[in-house]
Amino acid sequence: MKKITLRLNGELRNVYVEPEEILLDVLRDKLGTKSPKCGCDRGDCGACAVLLNGRSVRSCLVLAIETDGQEIVTVEGISKDGLSKVQNTMLDKNAFQCGFCAPGMIISTTELLDKNPHPNLEEIKEALSGNLCRCTGYLPILESVQEATEEGHHE
Amino acid sequence: MAIINDFNYHKPKDIDDTLILLSDLKEKAKILAGGTDLIVHLKEEIVKTENVIDIKGITKLNKIEVSEDNVFLGAGVTFTEIIESAELKEKLPVLWQASEKVASVGVRNRATVVGNICSAVPSLDSAPALLVYDAEILVQSKTSKRTISIHDWFTGPKKTILKPDELVLGINIPIFQHTGVYEKLGRYKGEDLAQAGIGICVDSNKNYRFAYCAVGPIPKRMKKLEEFLKGKDISDELLGEAAKLIPSEISPITDIRSSAEYRTHMMKVMFKRGLQKSVALLKGDRS
Amino acid sequence: MNNLKHVGKPSVRIDGKEKISGATRYTDDLEFGPNLHFAAIVESTEAHAKIISIDTTEAENFPGVVGVFTGKDFPFKFGLYMKDRFIFAMDTVHYVGQQIAAVVARDIKTAKQAAKLVKVEYEQLPAIFDQMEALKDDALLIHPELGEYEHVPWFFPQAKTNIAHWRKVRRGDTIKGFEDADYILEDTYTVPRYAHCPLETHVAVGLCDLSGRLTIWASSQSPHTQRNLFAESLAPLGFTHKDVRVIAPPIGGGFGGKAGVSMEILAAAIATKVRGNPIKVIWSREQEFYNTSQRLGVIAMLKIGVKNDGTFTAINHRLYWDTGASAEYGANVVNAVGLSAIGPYRFHNVSIDSVCLYTNLPPCGAYRGFGYSEFMFGLESHINRIADHLNIDAVEIRKINAIKENDILAYGVEMNPNGLIECIDKVAKEIEWGKEAKSDDPNIKVGKGFSLIWKAPAMPPNASSAAFLKFSEDGSINILVSGMDMGQGYLTVMAQIAAEILSVPITKIRTENPDTDRNPYEWQTVASHVTWSCGNAVQKAAIDAREQIFDVVSRTLYLPKEMLFLEDEKVKCKTKPSFELPLKDFVINGIMAEDSTFKGGPIMGHGIFMPEFASANSDPETSQGGHPNVHYTVGAAAITLEVDKDSGEMHVKKAVEAIDVGKAINPSLVKGQITGGLLQGLATVLYEDMRFDDKGKMLNPNFTDYKIPTAKDVPDEIVPIIVEVPQPDGPFGARGVGEHTMIPAAPMIANAVNDALGVRIKSMPITKEKVALANLNKEEK
Repeated sequence: MKKITLRLNGELRNVYVEPEEILLDVLRDKLGTKSPKCGCDRGDCGACAVLLNGRSVRSCLVLAIETDGQEIVTVEGISKDGLSKVQNTMLDKNAFQCGFCAPGMIISTTELLDKNPHPNLEEIKEALSGNLCRCTGYLPILESVQEATEEGHHE
Repeated sequence: MAIINDFNYHKPKDIDDTLILLSDLKEKAKILAGGTDLIVHLKEEIVKTENVIDIKGITKLNKIEVSEDNVFLGAGVTFTEIIESAELKEKLPVLWQASEKVASVGVRNRATVVGNICSAVPSLDSAPALLVYDAEILVQSKTSKRTISIHDWFTGPKKTILKPDELVLGINIPIFQHTGVYEKLGRYKGEDLAQAGIGICVDSNKNYRFAYCAVGPIPKRMKKLEEFLKGKDISDELLGEAAKLIPSEISPITDIRSSAEYRTHMMKVMFKRGLQKSVALLKGDRS
Repeated sequence: MNNLKHVGKPSVRIDGKEKISGATRYTDDLEFGPNLHFAAIVESTEAHAKIISIDTTEAENFPGVVGVFTGKDFPFKFGLYMKDRFIFAMDTVHYVGQQIAAVVARDIKTAKQAAKLVKVEYEQLPAIFDQMEALKDDALLIHPELGEYEHVPWFFPQAKTNIAHWRKVRRGDTIKGFEDADYILEDTYTVPRYAHCPLETHVAVGLCDLSGRLTIWASSQSPHTQRNLFAESLAPLGFTHKDVRVIAPPIGGGFGGKAGVSMEILAAAIATKVRGNPIKVIWSREQEFYNTSQRLGVIAMLKIGVKNDGTFTAINHRLYWDTGASAEYGANVVNAVGLSAIGPYRFHNVSIDSVCLYTNLPPCGAYRGFGYSEFMFGLESHINRIADHLNIDAVEIRKINAIKENDILAYGVEMNPNGLIECIDKVAKEIEWGKEAKSDDPNIKVGKGFSLIWKAPAMPPNASSAAFLKFSEDGSINILVSGMDMGQGYLTVMAQIAAEILSVPITKIRTENPDTDRNPYEWQTVASHVTWSCGNAVQKAAIDAREQIFDVVSRTLYLPKEMLFLEDEKVKCKTKPSFELPLKDFVINGIMAEDSTFKGGPIMGHGIFMPEFASANSDPETSQGGHPNVHYTVGAAAITLEVDKDSGEMHVKKAVEAIDVGKAINPSLVKGQITGGLLQGLATVLYEDMRFDDKGKMLNPNFTDYKIPTAKDVPDEIVPIIVEVPQPDGPFGARGVGEHTMIPAAPMIANAVNDALGVRIKSMPITKEKVALANLNKEEK
């Protein structure tokens, strides 16, 4: 077992891991962060997406031990001090149905808007294309991001 | 979910430490960069290893270096980093387009070009670009350093010429004036492995270069096509004639993703459309 | 109906904030403490074989293994409509992937490593992978004891064959009908199997405590039905319903795949062997593909006779279904289609044979649409071809034959009120039917495709819903029901119904997820019926509560009961405008009377709904005489499709879909069903392509090679149209919509491709490859 230290949603956390432990499992089972989900275990679906040093990654394809000394943000961190403008727009437009893909979608959206506060539809589609959703048909999610970013500021 | 086999994890600080590890462990170690291939293989037990060597801590390998006549892509350079480089978009358009078409953002943020060529899957997106660019791979072991041409790199499906004690340092790509495209056949607009892929570049002296992926056991240049078109102006008629050479240049299989018949057909379609685009870009540049 | 305050509003879902903030706890998110055990399942590698031996010794002795269990530990049959399954395989395996053993340990790694050590010896048997092979007289019997299986009385398994069920419908005189026809078209349409692909895989945790109380947490659409099946199948171990509790946390998508019982029974059964410890069984994405249930495949032979003026004269529809290794759920799909395979059209002369066949492939079951997407592909394609031949417009021919209220259905009952013509007209207008669409790109051809929609809930005649409703001191409400919100918004809709009756805003209403101990009965959340059925139950419960409110106010405060009404969470009186009593003042504590005593107490409503007019009993040879379907929801849809003539790539520029929902209790959620359902339907026709090898093993059980659409694959525009012709027995006139939105996708694509390229493709999926090669072949002729 090795002790690693990472900054998770702004808080410094210590955890013991074996080299073969997957980041997704450690986040969920040892660090109590349940929002990233296991949808496929192979990096195909995006349900496990988290921000690692500001970039979205498939946490099911990262060994926990690789993240020693690094920074991770999940939806718990994004929602901690209240919902962002995009989240509120998604809520008002009933953008999600079963909600299982929502954390991953929000991670991808956060990454997009951090770099590109006013993306066009093609850019939004590209950013979210790695997050599979079976319920909504995507349009309400895409419209929410468009609407939230058209009005001006992204929080 | 879990990887059920144990291994040791190493994170060397520099290239020398890595080479020492590799010379000790050889086949008993796997290099970990982005992990988008390796972790899947470890989970599915396609690969079992006693040691994983994480090279992401080696800053020298994470660099993109652009000089007047060469681009060096370090072994740790991700597809996202290529896409975010305006310089590479301008200087290596075929590789830039290929990078955009790899998987999706979350994978591109981790996956590396070097990792891509080390996987050597027949459908790898970066190969056609590297082949038309005559790229060279810089490789080092504890005892030697060598440069391997991309044309010698692939030795079979999922096989490369790399030795177990060797580390890829990066790829050197000579720069020259050209326009080009990477056309990829997928089953839809969303992410997909290529069922056929063609990299095309043209220069103002009517030299044409073509390379394919996914329609043969290893990615290759299409020399017959290049010979046939060299020095000629592109017309619809010429394209039709040239397309007839394509079946003899490729050897696609039929699998659950696509049939040989459709792959061959689409290679012709992508060749024609891609070449027309490249020529149009060239004309656009000159005007 | 026009001054509704809550019903008919596009309210924000009451579970929305939870989902947006990452707070929702799905089954795998729940913590079960340090005693949580895990099971790794050993699966059959053979499609059809006798099990000669199972050697579990090495696995049992592997350090950390708590136990290894096989079929002999649970030799009990189970099944929803027919008992043809075992929990683990007994002496025969019937499909690749069938569960043979479970290895249990305190961590998943140990369980998986030990599972590799279980040795199974098989004696291979010939296997059948094609329903037409299964149909042959000399075919090997996959279920030789079929004749002895318990089943619902309205199924007709044919003993000593592979026919699990045969629904025959006969009405009128098809021989004469075809004689009267000016034109007859006969052809075959093929639809393969499909996978549900919910983002959340199946998962169940079972805990049998040391007192013998069995609790199961499962990602499920059907907690009460599951409890029933668990209690029935584990009865030999001494369990009855009282001993079994099913808790259903929020689920990450169902689409029918989490209805009935599939892998959940493993957790229930294994729990009885490791008493005192919770034990989790969770499916990987691979297992989710081949080891839950799949959508049945069908080969449909369709013959329709028509007069030159476009009037249909007769239909002969023979559908041969591949239900895989078990028919316990799949046979009802076959049944449902048998009753409805005339489509939303008026046919006086009907002959339908819907035949359910066993094969050695994974078991099939409920999938959104329940057989209707499958047969409508053929029917709506066929009608277009007939229209082409007769030179009648494709929309016009549908209008000529569209079923109207009181027309007689295939099984002899009258059709319910419906807005089918209104749907057709609105869709045709929105898509600009009749106006040719072109593209500037010379490589692109544009076509338009039209299809009608219909479906009735396929349920037993006694499927019921029940609801409890209670107040809290702040005037807020808890609704306890056992339907499942799998994304469709059911929790919110129930709240809106109660809100309307009781004048409490939905922000003060919680609809609770099911716990079979606490929430009253709901048959299953399937069939697009819970808005109607449970909505009725909730409406009754709210009315019951309202009655109690008016009763206590009236007798304590001497106000005329018939003059009381509710508004803004207060009781008011028409004849005494100054009177206002806030609900929160008395819904728990009662009202103080003049003599300082308190009257009333906690207000609690209850309601049940059962369709007491439904009957599944009919003539087995003709299906006449019963009332098996409660009502149909109808609609229409159209697309404008761009097709690249060289690559075959198809892009939906615009899709329009109109559904007559009776009353859209929440229009935003109805639109969500239209958008989501349409894309799922498009996925089945354009991209999803399930492949098996010649030994019955699924070749693409992952998202890498079983493609479901991404955000880049959406149509440019989807126009949802809500039509409201009230359902007389629905809450506020509502009827269901969840499945219907998928149904027109496949035939619309087939019809649009034909319109664009002149190529008719009669098998699914219609991939770009298929289109390109079909077009090439056409050009070469």
